[in-house]
Amino acid sequence: MTLLLKQIFSFFQLLNSETGTNQLASGLACGLILGFSPFLSIQTFLILFLVFFFRIQMGAAFLAAFFFKFIAYLFDPLADQLGRSVLEAPALRPLFVQMYNMPLVPLTRFNNSIVMGSMVVGLILVIPAFFLFRLLIVKYRETVVARLKGTRLWKAFATTKFYSWYTKYNELYG
Amino acid sequence: MTKPHDSQKKAKGPIRWNAVIPFLVFCALIYVYFHFFFDHNLRKGLEWAGYKAVGAEVNIADLRTSFLKATLQIKGIEITDADKPAQNIIEIGDIRWGMSWDALLRAKILINEAVIENIQFATIRKHPGKVAPPELPPKPGPGVLEKEAEKLKEEALAKAQEEYANNMLGDLAAILGGANAQAQLGKIEGTLASKKRAQELEADLKTKQKQWEERLKTLPQGKDLQALNERLNKVKIKDFKSPQELQASLQELDAIAKQADAYYKQLGSTGKDLDKELKGLEASVRELDALVKSDIKALETRFRIPSINTQDLTRALFNKYLGKYRAKINHYRAMAEKYIPPKYMDKVTGKADKEEEIPLQPHPRERGVSYEFGRRNSYPLFWLKRAAISSQAGMSPKAGNIRGEILDITSHQALIGRPTVATLSGDFPADQISGVLLKLVLDNTKPESLITYKVDVGAYPLRGSDLVDSPDVKIALTEAVGKLNIEGQLKALREFQMKLNNQFTTAHFAVTAKDGNIDSILKNTFANLPVINLKGDASGYLPSMSFNVTSNLGSELEKGLRKQVEAKIAEAQKQIEAYVNKEIGKNREAIEKQVQSLRTQLDGEVKKAQAQLDAQKKQVESKVDQAKKDAESQAKKKLNEEGKKAADALKKRLGL
Repeated sequence: MTLLLKQIFSFFQLLNSETGTNQLASGLACGLILGFSPFLSIQTFLILFLVFFFRIQMGAAFLAAFFFKFIAYLFDPLADQLGRSVLEAPALRPLFVQMYNMPLVPLTRFNNSIVMGSMVVGLILVIPAFFLFRLLIVKYRETVVARLKGTRLWKAFATTKFYSWYTKYNELYG
Repeated sequence: MTKPHDSQKKAKGPIRWNAVIPFLVFCALIYVYFHFFFDHNLRKGLEWAGYKAVGAEVNIADLRTSFLKATLQIKGIEITDADKPAQNIIEIGDIRWGMSWDALLRAKILINEAVIENIQFATIRKHPGKVAPPELPPKPGPGVLEKEAEKLKEEALAKAQEEYANNMLGDLAAILGGANAQAQLGKIEGTLASKKRAQELEADLKTKQKQWEERLKTLPQGKDLQALNERLNKVKIKDFKSPQELQASLQELDAIAKQADAYYKQLGSTGKDLDKELKGLEASVRELDALVKSDIKALETRFRIPSINTQDLTRALFNKYLGKYRAKINHYRAMAEKYIPPKYMDKVTGKADKEEEIPLQPHPRERGVSYEFGRRNSYPLFWLKRAAISSQAGMSPKAGNIRGEILDITSHQALIGRPTVATLSGDFPADQISGVLLKLVLDNTKPESLITYKVDVGAYPLRGSDLVDSPDVKIALTEAVGKLNIEGQLKALREFQMKLNNQFTTAHFAVTAKDGNIDSILKNTFANLPVINLKGDASGYLPSMSFNVTSNLGSELEKGLRKQVEAKIAEAQKQIEAYVNKEIGKNREAIEKQVQSLRTQLDGEVKKAQAQLDAQKKQVESKVDQAKKDAESQAKKKLNEEGKKAADALKKRLGL
């Protein structure tokens, strides 16, 4: 839990800094995949592995997963319909038979209509979502963060001892 | 000189090395734990959990797991007998469990083997086992469940007693023991349909006799015939002086003939009517015979004179013996009703056309639909290739040498193309049971599922089994060696078939009957019985089934009993027949006599009158002929004379 909270604080810190744009955008994109995937599936573990071993912002990934889980939940009826139409497509049947009998692939639970529907939506959205998140982060920093740092209240806060201690701590252990 | 904050920090690569190393360390620790400590900890954990569960020490000699091979092996499980801590209540030699990673990586469960071997009971422990202190005793007095169970038991016993008190042998005994038919006959006097009809017939006959006497009076009597005769004698039949005289005679004769014809016709129609009436009366007498037979049959039924039927006798004899098995069949039938899919049950019970209820549908988002893209020779979702169990007869009196095996339990038989086959074989030397074989085959590889089963028991002892326990007769199978074979199948979960063949050799019976006569008959019959077989045949569409039982015991017993019973039945029948005949015999005799006398009397009178009329008719006819001849000769003579006169006159005129 501490790790999780730390990562979430780190997300807000990084969001308000001037670096780590790609880390944040990729974290949010991974969160999208996590949100649209069932928890006990191999793709979830694969994404968690990527998030854990590569420099993808974990807090962003978890927050996005939490958010997109709700979206996916609302989207389930549509995902079910979409998944059925994909899984019942005669042209894809030989492929699915092959995949179903391959090692590891059935662990994705692709043969479930909701999982398949959500997976299709997730895979279609993940690349555009990465670029969209990047754009939004940049815009956020240019508008909201810059405006906040220009306020007297922030300038006054930046001169306090607490802020200088926090900055020092962050340089040493952040 | 200070550098900007960002430039001070070293640029970080895309991989989090600071996370990788702790993760690897964590994995290494997990590996070390599972490699060196997990088996030991699991063994101790199971021993502790077993002790808590059964309240006695549980020991496991060895436990090995392998993650890479996906196997589990437990050896030497000993569970202490809480009552005798120096003994084990059960000892299991080996438990093996092996799965396939190849299938697991395909999200399928394939169990290569699940084996429990060398089960032994009541084996001696090396050291006495620890026993948990006893729990506080429950409050005295039976609980609600016990009370309810006792109540149900009493109800079942009462029902069984009621059912078997009226069995067939009881009835036979009552007849053989001399249920007095004569005593009953007195009570039913006046209720016989034949007697009633005979009385009606007698009264009817008297009425008819009067009517006929009246009618006979209207027939031509002797004086009428005499008058006709006199009238005939008066008719002139010769020496006619003129044709007018001849004409008058002929007319009179014609009138007499017509009168005689009228009399004749009257007699003829009366004779016909009489004949018709007499035939009707005779038919009524025959009808009376049929009524007598019907009365005898009704009386036989009333006195419950049984006709011995081998099948009924067998059913009566084995009703109690088979009761427990029938209860089991009913139990499984109820289970089948519970578990057979409703669409099949509705077909069987004829409720297929009923309005379908709308079931609760889970929201699609909860589960979705999982498709199975199987192909031949691929892994099904679940496949237990082999499960085995074996035990050895130890010191326990109830233990046996058993070997059981289940092959190919799977979620999709069509994919592997093999049916599930379960077999259990063995024997129980202490109980003198040998040659036990149970085999069950569940085949869903074809469009219609087929379940076949077979139960064989080579030899088993049978002691103290009550066959009949009625107030009149008690028959018990005290000792016998049985041999059992049951085979059957269940097709498409509804078409049920079962054949049972049960043999008893060296059977000894305890037979007692209230009546001495039947007691000796039954004792002699049962003492000379050869090998007894009991054959059963059950079939039908579930849940309705028919169950037939046949046995040579029935036929053998039938042979012994038939002679005595038939004699008794014949005696009872004779009594009834004699009674019925006696009751209507007098009426019947009177009726027959009356009919006969009426026929004789009327026939005589009519025939006599007919004879007289015939004679008179002939006389009239001869007289008519005579008159005609006479008239003809007179006419000829006259014509000759007239011709002679005319010739003479002509000669004179011609001068010849």
